[in-house]
Amino acid sequence: MARKLLHPGSLVALVIVGLVASGFIALAAAGGGRPTLFSIGPYLWRVLAFSFIQAALSSILSLALGTALALALARRHFPGRDMVLAALSTTMVIPTIVAVFAVFAVYGRSGWMANTLSFLGWNGSFSIFGYPGILIAHVFLNAPFAARILLDSISLVPAEHWRLASALGFSPAQIFRHLDWPVLRAELPGLAGLIFLLCFKSFAIVLALGGGPSRSTLEVAIYEALKIDLDFSRAAWLSLIQLVICLTLTAVLNWALTRPPTAHTIRGLIQRPDAGNRRLKLFDCLVLAFGALFIAPLALSLLSGLGNFADIWDTDLLRAFITSIVIATLAATIACTLALALASAARRWRIVLRSPRIAAFYDFLPSTMLAIPPFALTAGLFIMIRRIVDPASAGLILLPLINGLAAIPFAYRSLAPRLLTTEERYGRVAASLGITGLNKISIMDWPVLKRPFGAAFALSMALSFGDFGIIALFGGPELVTLPYLLFQNLGAYRLDEASAIGLFIVLIAFLLAHVSGRLSHAGD
Amino acid sequence: MLVIENCRLTWPDFSADYTMSVRTGSLCAVIGPSGGGKTTLLHMIAGFEKPESGTLTFNGQNLLPLEPAKRPVAIVFQDHNLFPHLTAMQNVALGIRPSLRMSGEDKALIEETLDAVDLRGLSDRRPGEMSGGQRQRVALARALVSGRPLILLDEPFSSLDPGLRRDMVQLVDELRRRRPVTILMTIHTPEDVADLADQMVFVADGRVVASDVPAAILGGSLARQIAAAVSDT
Repeated sequence: MARKLLHPGSLVALVIVGLVASGFIALAAAGGGRPTLFSIGPYLWRVLAFSFIQAALSSILSLALGTALALALARRHFPGRDMVLAALSTTMVIPTIVAVFAVFAVYGRSGWMANTLSFLGWNGSFSIFGYPGILIAHVFLNAPFAARILLDSISLVPAEHWRLASALGFSPAQIFRHLDWPVLRAELPGLAGLIFLLCFKSFAIVLALGGGPSRSTLEVAIYEALKIDLDFSRAAWLSLIQLVICLTLTAVLNWALTRPPTAHTIRGLIQRPDAGNRRLKLFDCLVLAFGALFIAPLALSLLSGLGNFADIWDTDLLRAFITSIVIATLAATIACTLALALASAARRWRIVLRSPRIAAFYDFLPSTMLAIPPFALTAGLFIMIRRIVDPASAGLILLPLINGLAAIPFAYRSLAPRLLTTEERYGRVAASLGITGLNKISIMDWPVLKRPFGAAFALSMALSFGDFGIIALFGGPELVTLPYLLFQNLGAYRLDEASAIGLFIVLIAFLLAHVSGRLSHAGD
Repeated sequence: MLVIENCRLTWPDFSADYTMSVRTGSLCAVIGPSGGGKTTLLHMIAGFEKPESGTLTFNGQNLLPLEPAKRPVAIVFQDHNLFPHLTAMQNVALGIRPSLRMSGEDKALIEETLDAVDLRGLSDRRPGEMSGGQRQRVALARALVSGRPLILLDEPFSSLDPGLRRDMVQLVDELRRRRPVTILMTIHTPEDVADLADQMVFVADGRVVASDVPAAILGGSLARQIAAAVSDT
């Protein structure tokens, strides 16, 4: 009797769970079980408190600014609005280390703001380290992202509702209550959870702008335990705590984000009935002006690198660029392949085997990648392979692997819905014609999947290309990526070189994100 | 009397020029091919589209300078008529109290109107808990409760099955006989209203091609063109 082969998606799920479990076990075992959780108690509470407070403040400020911007942009149409919207979409791929540079360039001791205040005769000093720098960087990255998501949701309000609001004579307050607020209320919990999670796990920003060990998130504390103190057991405990907190948040997020599809309708250019209200006009102008004053200098500071491009072209930069591209390509290959296998398994369980609960497990698994502390996993895997490979080679193996795993949620979100649609539409025809296996993929799936696959690949590359995480563990003379080179220049206060490298990273990341956006919006 | 004279609207890919009239208190069915300009006609009367030229009056009142909320017009769309977070009563109440601050009298009037559209006892349900036909009845109740004398129904029953669609058309006919309202209704299936409508208008390519009693329209020289238009949709 022929034995039934394991589905590739199930195999992938097993490998992911196995990798994560063995990584953590290896890390805990390397520490010899000491110190215990109680011995790191006071330190742990301080780190936890800081992680929670900075993440909560960052989320509240990002959502407040993001919501105000989304509503103002929904009500106002002005020349250059499309450019503003495009700019808002791109902050998601701005590498965190580049955001750190932008904060230094604008708010640092010799930044634009200090120079302007000095020019105006103010000779006081202020420090960007600690909460101010961290909050500015987090809000800079997350408020535009929140604004874009909320604006997209508001734009899905059916045209008929705007016409009804107009016909029924709704006041601006009634429009907010009956049209805007229901959309915002549905979107905000999930968005708040996602931003909180990203800020809670923040690494590069807190490492560079925290200003010392008293300002550490769990992620930074794990890094310090591994890299500076070589205390594997403490790293294992901290990782476990972070894993539990982030998994809980991810599970809540998964639940909050799973809602019925939004109704779509034909949208022409519908004029909002509240656009003519004078008070709202004034309020929107103030919000847009504040948003521009906050975001524009940080974004424009990246352009200061234009004049310094000539100074950075050397073999170090070329080597770092090639290393980054190779790692990003490998990471994207891993992310897309694994996401495709998982999505295929979810589809099989949902439609063919009619078991939505098991399918939901495959849907949830990619999201859990957001919860896993990358440093702890990397350290655990490194401990497992250190006897057979040297550290630089281990970095080249582990960097694409961990970056690839981290990009799975984004790749999965792009691929899974399309894969499900093809099965719903053509699955029975394919089954009746006996089209299975590779033939099914090439005839039925690939024509629909190739553009989303390209989009997922480019986005995964963009995320990996600018990542400054694991490279902080492995970076050194033998292994340098562009974000690591930028970090080195920032550490040495070579801001001119840093500005040019930052701009270079952003340009490549934007190019990849642009390709991803074009492919994901293109017709099949 | 609703009077539309040479109302012209232009877009890069479409233009329309309407001339027609509808007697006060009548039920007028607007038929025609998809993309022919039926919805545009209703949107122009409601105030969502502004004609570049022409005149539009209802019972002698010039409607063109008025904003949608100030026109004596209520409208029901094919979909998305109701706000999903509000109950049936609240959705109907928007027709008279957009603030949703209802007096006892308001509530009684709304209950009475919900009764009139056969929705007794469903006032606390949200749209998600109602069938497609019930949702359209709620939208109809809101149009009626607003007390506006001209009601526009933009393919309101297209998504319903034929039996239910016929019931709804009969309900509309009953309601307009009990209340002083003029109704313009775009519809894809002329046979549903052939024996109920007082007037039928055939709209194609942004023009009113013919306007007469249903029998004359459906049995006249346009019969083949109408049949083709209906089979297209």
